[in-house]
Amino acid sequence: MRANKGTSLLLSLGIAFTLAGQALAENVVRIGAIYPLSGPAGKSGEDTLNAIRLAVDVINKSDPNSNLPFAKVAGLPGLGGAKIELIAADHQGSPEIGAAEAERMIVQEKVVALIGAFHSSVAATASQVAERMEVPFISGESEATNLTERGYRYFFRTTPSSSTQARDFFLFLRDLNKKESKPVRTIAIVHENTLWGQEFAKSAEAYFPEFPEFKLAINVAYQNGATDVTSEVQKLIAAKPDVVFHASYDAEAILFARTYKTYNFHPQGIMAIGAAFGSSAFRQALGPDANFYLVREHWARDLGRSNKLITEVAALYQSRYGKAMDGTPARAFQATLVLADAINRAGSTDKEAIRKALAATNLSAEHLIMPWESVRFDGKGQNVGSRGIFTQTQNLAPTTVWPFEMATASIVWPRPAAR
Amino acid sequence: MSALAPDGRVAPTRRGPWLRRTAWGLFSAALLLLPLAVGSRPFELRLLTLMLLFGAMGQGWNILGGYAGQTAIGHGLFFGLGAYASLLVMREFGVSPWVAAPAAALVCMLAGTLIGWPCFKLRGHYFVIATLVIAESASLLFTSWDWAGGAMGLELPIRPESLLNLQFHRSKLPYYYVALALVAGATALTALLERSKVGFVLRAIRDDEEAVRSLGFSPLRYKLIAMAASTAIVGLCGAFHLQYVLFIDPPSVLGLGLSVMIALIPILGGVGTLAGPIVGAVILVSMSEYARIIFSGGGRGVDLMIYGGLIMGIALYRPAGIMSLLRTERVVALRMRLGLGR
Amino acid sequence: MQAELLIQLLLSGLGMGFIFALIAIGLTLIYGVMNVVNFAHGEFLMLSMYASYWAYALLGADPLVSLPFVAGAMFLFGVGVYYALIRRTMKSSMHAQIFVTFGLMVFLQAAAQFFWGADYHAIQDSRLSGVLLVGGIALPVPQIASGVGALLATAGLYLLVFRTAVGRSLRAAAQDREAAQTVGIDVDRMNALAWGIGAACVGTAGSLLSTFYYVFPRVGSVFVLVAYVTVAMGGFGSIGGALVSGLLIGVLQVFSGFFLSSSLKFVPVFLLYLAIVLVRSRGLLGSQ
Repeated sequence: MRANKGTSLLLSLGIAFTLAGQALAENVVRIGAIYPLSGPAGKSGEDTLNAIRLAVDVINKSDPNSNLPFAKVAGLPGLGGAKIELIAADHQGSPEIGAAEAERMIVQEKVVALIGAFHSSVAATASQVAERMEVPFISGESEATNLTERGYRYFFRTTPSSSTQARDFFLFLRDLNKKESKPVRTIAIVHENTLWGQEFAKSAEAYFPEFPEFKLAINVAYQNGATDVTSEVQKLIAAKPDVVFHASYDAEAILFARTYKTYNFHPQGIMAIGAAFGSSAFRQALGPDANFYLVREHWARDLGRSNKLITEVAALYQSRYGKAMDGTPARAFQATLVLADAINRAGSTDKEAIRKALAATNLSAEHLIMPWESVRFDGKGQNVGSRGIFTQTQNLAPTTVWPFEMATASIVWPRPAAR
Repeated sequence: MSALAPDGRVAPTRRGPWLRRTAWGLFSAALLLLPLAVGSRPFELRLLTLMLLFGAMGQGWNILGGYAGQTAIGHGLFFGLGAYASLLVMREFGVSPWVAAPAAALVCMLAGTLIGWPCFKLRGHYFVIATLVIAESASLLFTSWDWAGGAMGLELPIRPESLLNLQFHRSKLPYYYVALALVAGATALTALLERSKVGFVLRAIRDDEEAVRSLGFSPLRYKLIAMAASTAIVGLCGAFHLQYVLFIDPPSVLGLGLSVMIALIPILGGVGTLAGPIVGAVILVSMSEYARIIFSGGGRGVDLMIYGGLIMGIALYRPAGIMSLLRTERVVALRMRLGLGR
Repeated sequence: MQAELLIQLLLSGLGMGFIFALIAIGLTLIYGVMNVVNFAHGEFLMLSMYASYWAYALLGADPLVSLPFVAGAMFLFGVGVYYALIRRTMKSSMHAQIFVTFGLMVFLQAAAQFFWGADYHAIQDSRLSGVLLVGGIALPVPQIASGVGALLATAGLYLLVFRTAVGRSLRAAAQDREAAQTVGIDVDRMNALAWGIGAACVGTAGSLLSTFYYVFPRVGSVFVLVAYVTVAMGGFGSIGGALVSGLLIGVLQVFSGFFLSSSLKFVPVFLLYLAIVLVRSRGLLGSQ
């Protein structure tokens, strides 16, 4: 009898140790990334995914000289050095494909979390799948405001929403008016007419009551893929605004800038959202005419002066991929780190534990590669610690000019005329 | 076995239609059982569901483009209109999708008739361009229309999964069978049409519209019938898409690429044949999906190069569509020997 | 409303319209001779823009200088496409013809992305950049050049088609293929010639366009729908019709963009097309 009890005890212990050993042997954390890798956004999607790949690499390898989070030790210490395995999928800009890929990754690839998706419309459907299947979904660059208004528990977003970004435009102008003798009063909004541009325009318009010193001069929507923007620019000229808020993608940014020059349109300032007006393609196409555009950025390399991590990650990205890092890959890199930090604190690959850890995230500025105050999520999954900056192209280089305390050079205001 | 007429033509024998019906029967049975064989895995299930959906839309287009000979490259409009109308009816009146979808089909029939009435006066490429610009105008209008969600699109609120709500979450298998019902219905309708007087007149219109008019038929009337049937089917498919993806926006349901795909499927499969759209859907959907999975990533567009190359190849070597393989000399000889007639 | 503003809008519209016309002329010529719509026409434009850009970036050649070479290269390309692809579909239905050129379109777009990447390129300064100021009106030089180019091309094509022996053969082949063959005209060569000349026309448009518009793999899609509407509105096969409707569309889109809605500025263009063809089923100047 006693021998039997002893045997069963030994057997139970043996099984328990084997199971524990199995858990430790699970030294891989699988994460799915859904991005556009083909089609019109293919290049941007690839650049963004590369930043995530870079972050995963930094985490997995050990580099004692690096100050980046998780860089010094190989893998995630909270899971015994487990490495992250990144599985990528192409959603081609289609919300339906994005949802299908999310499901495939959860069911067939058995990922414990998802990161994505660049396009907000795809993030909407893919995170819907994730919510239903109770898998954490983090987005570093999908900005549509309503993504965090759905009451989801598993969706977390580190980037500021479109609405928050629009507010930065007003904060900047208010700040500027304190300094300048000729205050800005009238604002014109010009925007492309797909989801991104429309949402920016709506968000911006919604802030006028909060900032009553400003008036909307005109709101011009244009069709994405325009052959010619003469009528749009003439409308802007006729409205005589003090400043222009501009939401355009790369291609039309070039077209607009040239048309502005043709008709010598020079309001006091042209302020753009998105990377287009600050991109190298823009500078190459326009030469000296690219100067003096203001861009509401998420990240700028010259902030490396006060944050060494920025310099380090910029150099890493440049050396590995041969191109300069910009705001969107930087945000994706940061989101990956936030996810890794949460998994690390959770100490397991249990999805609910990861979700709880994400909700409890509290990363302060010195751990971030973004010029933010912190990463903390509110009840809706939105990061409330982000901060926007404005850069101005000076001597063909993006230069941080706002917040004024963080500026690396003083702003050139008002814009000089083209001729 | 086969009756040889004096002019050498082979009259269809009794075995012909019987064999054809058996083929269809076996095919349908296979489709019913296929998901069980596939194991209901998400990727394969989605692929099959898409094939069925596009097959249904192809059948719809075929009625107008294949049998009536009116090449419309704007049918994406009706897909989008079906999806939007269904969603807006549900949103404004709170009804079930089983009411909203037929309502949407009705809206599409109406829109199709309104558009067809003036446009059917146009011939050849002028008609093609007209359908293109109408579809493009609709896309632009929906993008600027706030009540319909504008560029941001509309989400269908998630309901508990049931046939009544036409939403299924844990497994997508029921969607497969709904799509199967759609394509079966569309095919049945096309088959009925093919054998009816309407179908006869439509084919005559395709071949020689003037002759039809001189015989006392109104080509416009028959073209409108074809248009109504065609747009209703595509509209229903749009309503299905809404239930499947739960989100619609202008680029995903009103795009030009969609219009082209809807036309390409029956054309590559075999215009004016019953099985053509289904064959075309199977080929084109699997081509584009597998090309993406195998070759994309890297963002270099290799998958699209292959896709474009394949389309050119089929258009060059089988311009009458894949189904024309059944009419090549060797196949015809084989059929004659089997006593199946031509 | 200031007169100056109206004149500015009008001239800008005409400038754009000349470009639409130049793109459309090649397309309508091909159709006129062969009854085939080239759905890859936008990609011909794209290729010529890339050719002009690479000549500038790699050889430092000004687009004005490289223009004849680009047009010549596009001529050869057009002929090549005819012999390699189109000739085989001449006996097939309209469907097959549409889809072989559609497949070509997808293929060329993807190939451009494969070889040259998806980045945007723009020629920074060429002899054709800059603005002419006449009174208070700004006239962008590239658009003046396009205007000149379009007028020259239209005149040149007219002369070719109506005053030369080759042109006579082209017209004969267009009117009645069989009859032309019995008279000894090599219809095959006429078709190839039409493709070549059509491609050269759009090649010229691409060269001029590259001086102020950005180049990327999908740039064809931006212009192609307008090109088709221009051709159809003017009447398939009518060179004069392409010119007139190009100008009409250019002006209409500027005015409706300014006075109505910019995001919907092409809707009036589309409505105009429908109105015209419903009244005159062969477009403005197409022959019955």
